[in-house]
Amino acid sequence: MMCHMSRILWVTMIPALFSVRAGAQFGPGGPPRSAQASAPSDLTGYWVSMVTEDWRYRMLPPRKIGPPAGGIFGGGIGVPINAEARKVATAWDPARDEAAGEQCKSYGAPNLMRVPGRLHITWQDDQTLKIETDAGMQNRMFHFTAAQEAGGGWQGVSRAEWEALEGFQIPGLGPLSGLGFEKTGSLKVVTTNLKPGYLRKNGIPYSDKAVLTEYYDVVTQPDGAIYLLITSTVDDPVYLMAPYQTTTHFKKQADASGWSPAPCSSR
Amino acid sequence: MNTTIKAATFAAIAILCRAAYGQGFGFGASLSSNTGIDISGTWHYGGDQDADYGTAAGSVGDYGGIPLNEAGRLYALAWDASRATVRQQQCAGYGIPYAYFSPGNFRFWEERDPHTQQLIAIHMWFQTSEVRRTIWMDGRPHPPAWAPHTFAGFSTGTWDKNVLTITTTHLKRAWLRGNGVPYSDEATVVEKLVRHGDRITVFTVTKDPVFLDEPYSKTMINIRNIKDPTAWLYACEDGEEIIGRSEDKIPNRLFGKNPFLREWADKNGVPMLATLGGGITTHPEFPAKLKDAAAAEAEAMKEIVPSGTQQSSRAVNPDPNDGDIHVWKVQGNVYLLIGDGGNIAVQVGDQGAFVVDSGAGKLSDKVISAIGKLSKAPIQFVVNTSFRPDHTGGNAALGKAGQDPSLPGSFFGGQAPTGATGFFQDPSHHATLIAQNNVLVRMEAAKLPSDMVPPDTYLTNRRRKYHNGELIEIFHEPNAVTDGDSVVQFRRSDVIATGDIYDTTRYPFIDVKSGGSVQGELDALNSILDKTGYEHDEDGGTMIIPGRGRISDEYDVAEYRDMVAIVRDRVQSMLDAGATLDQVKAARLTADYDTRYGATSGPWTTDMFVEAVYTSLKNAKSQAARK
Repeated sequence: MMCHMSRILWVTMIPALFSVRAGAQFGPGGPPRSAQASAPSDLTGYWVSMVTEDWRYRMLPPRKIGPPAGGIFGGGIGVPINAEARKVATAWDPARDEAAGEQCKSYGAPNLMRVPGRLHITWQDDQTLKIETDAGMQNRMFHFTAAQEAGGGWQGVSRAEWEALEGFQIPGLGPLSGLGFEKTGSLKVVTTNLKPGYLRKNGIPYSDKAVLTEYYDVVTQPDGAIYLLITSTVDDPVYLMAPYQTTTHFKKQADASGWSPAPCSSR
Repeated sequence: MNTTIKAATFAAIAILCRAAYGQGFGFGASLSSNTGIDISGTWHYGGDQDADYGTAAGSVGDYGGIPLNEAGRLYALAWDASRATVRQQQCAGYGIPYAYFSPGNFRFWEERDPHTQQLIAIHMWFQTSEVRRTIWMDGRPHPPAWAPHTFAGFSTGTWDKNVLTITTTHLKRAWLRGNGVPYSDEATVVEKLVRHGDRITVFTVTKDPVFLDEPYSKTMINIRNIKDPTAWLYACEDGEEIIGRSEDKIPNRLFGKNPFLREWADKNGVPMLATLGGGITTHPEFPAKLKDAAAAEAEAMKEIVPSGTQQSSRAVNPDPNDGDIHVWKVQGNVYLLIGDGGNIAVQVGDQGAFVVDSGAGKLSDKVISAIGKLSKAPIQFVVNTSFRPDHTGGNAALGKAGQDPSLPGSFFGGQAPTGATGFFQDPSHHATLIAQNNVLVRMEAAKLPSDMVPPDTYLTNRRRKYHNGELIEIFHEPNAVTDGDSVVQFRRSDVIATGDIYDTTRYPFIDVKSGGSVQGELDALNSILDKTGYEHDEDGGTMIIPGRGRISDEYDVAEYRDMVAIVRDRVQSMLDAGATLDQVKAARLTADYDTRYGATSGPWTTDMFVEAVYTSLKNAKSQAARK
């Protein structure tokens, strides 16, 4: 087949090549498409967290982490913290955080999606997806183009892209979405420039060197229920011995029912 | 060509091929409904969440975040960790989705048509308990409701971009968590597998009308193994863990009397309401319910005992009730015929058909027609497992349609007494009807037509026949649901027809006035379990045809036996404390099983069952006192 097609191949290939080089956000032969216009899935709307993972750490009042010997029952279980992180966590004092006006330390991007509550996701503009939370009243901005923010806040700076399957990439050319291949539907978000905070409410720390990588997937059940799945990895050379990986999910709501903005709480 | 040009050429060919043939090329298959991302390889449970539950772990009263309904909560609170010592629990397989949490590795591999390369199935192997799973990708339907269930269930899958959706039905009663939190054999699990590099995000939604009040949604991460693990097996063989314990002693906790009820709550310094699960515990509003400690405690006290109204079964009735007879090959030479009241078992071979029970008799023509398609020879024997109409209603029609060629020319030929009717009028041109003698006695007492009454009866504990190339044994199980119950075992086919002793659709129909008793029922269930074996981790092996309901195996019968034993213990406890029947009924001692087997109306209600248990226990107590 390759021999028979060799003449028409090159005619077909030239525009295709240009399309590939143009990148994932470009339609075939057309002007660049915005992140909103090229979105393979719809993340907008109101979502409520379904708290079935790490239930006790998320739903019940925080308990201070124990010493290493008893740590497995002391609140640090599951987080691959190093000795320095344990030292910080064992000194956790919510009253001190309140006095310092830092009640939002567990509402930073690495833990915000784990806080039970609701999300309101909208397009801030056609290149920026915005997530508002009622718990802690935080805003996250996912930028599909170079972010103008300096970072350093609880939510850091988030760079977003629609994921294309790695299997369809050609070395040196990038994803083949421009050739008409389907995108996966996943949103990939990498967040940096974070203000140090907590991975859990009980003071397990992350540093300003932490990098949060997330994948957002929307899936539909046979009964029509729509869920948002968030797969997260926190890398932190200061406090973690290994990447900290979690998954969190939300169920889509028809409206803003239950939306109940509440300030951050240390307890 | 340099690398870029080569790659671009390849890409262009892929596009052309896709246009010409509608399928992918070169870089893998296109993202059609039949194919998607490649998840082949070996994986293990990863991530850092739910670390407490990575093995068969969890404390009593640690159910937060699980949407248990009243029945599910009470089932979990009645669970005793020693239940794991019961023989049929020791090697029980891991169900879906619980298997994902198991320690160890699991493997995916594809099965493709060698000629078309179309994806037929994705196979899974979980190291722990060696769960063998097939996810059919070829569009086949799920089996009917009367088909057997397994721990892995029956799964079909479809691709949508990078998401593999798997729908699983036909699951066995298994665990959502290793601390006694159940899901029922009515559960359906929908999984979404999303691959991101070397990780798969698994999202499962378990719907269970029996034990959950909302869908139980959960996520987890699987990590790809770089190196193929060396450990893949899980050798398990059951044995005598508690020497001398009677087979009908099933460890359990009485409602409200679990001594470990508060252990987890106290250890973690939380109100007990936070530990008992329920749909509300998965919602962000739940912590607010804990702020009023007194109210939370009062609510918890209500939740640890039956407190609502009596519930009916939410299980799907496997009987098709469509006016037709449906045939399912069980295994070996034995088939199930379902659709005419009680189940009918048919064994076929070179000789005439050997039939167990004749159904209600409303669809006998269709039953005879169905048997005619399975067997070249006419019906030769019909065994009745009891006298009940839905097992004997077709006796006359099936008897008349059959013949017993062992009689002509034998001593028994021409033995018809003067004036005899039915079988005795012309035994050589009539199938022989067999039953335990009390069946004959009760049917004659009811003045049923003689051609419905089995003339060939046995009195003692066992009747044997070698027929169609296998030994068939008929066992009398005294005083189980009646005084004339028989269980029929096909030895080579490894199938047992139980009659009403085992019924997947309701509580055992123990007819005390006809000689039934709860202890006899338990003894009968244990007698069945003495004859069974499993193929692998309590799946397969000896297959069971119940009096009503779906095809089962040893584990299913053991679950039923456990239920009867646990209810008996509860009733006995109240009886010993001097409770009246009305008090026992009001206590709703079957509350954790009612959504599976209960009925508030119809021929066999929950109250009737409880009364039968109470009465037979009281009778036994009186008899013991007299002695």
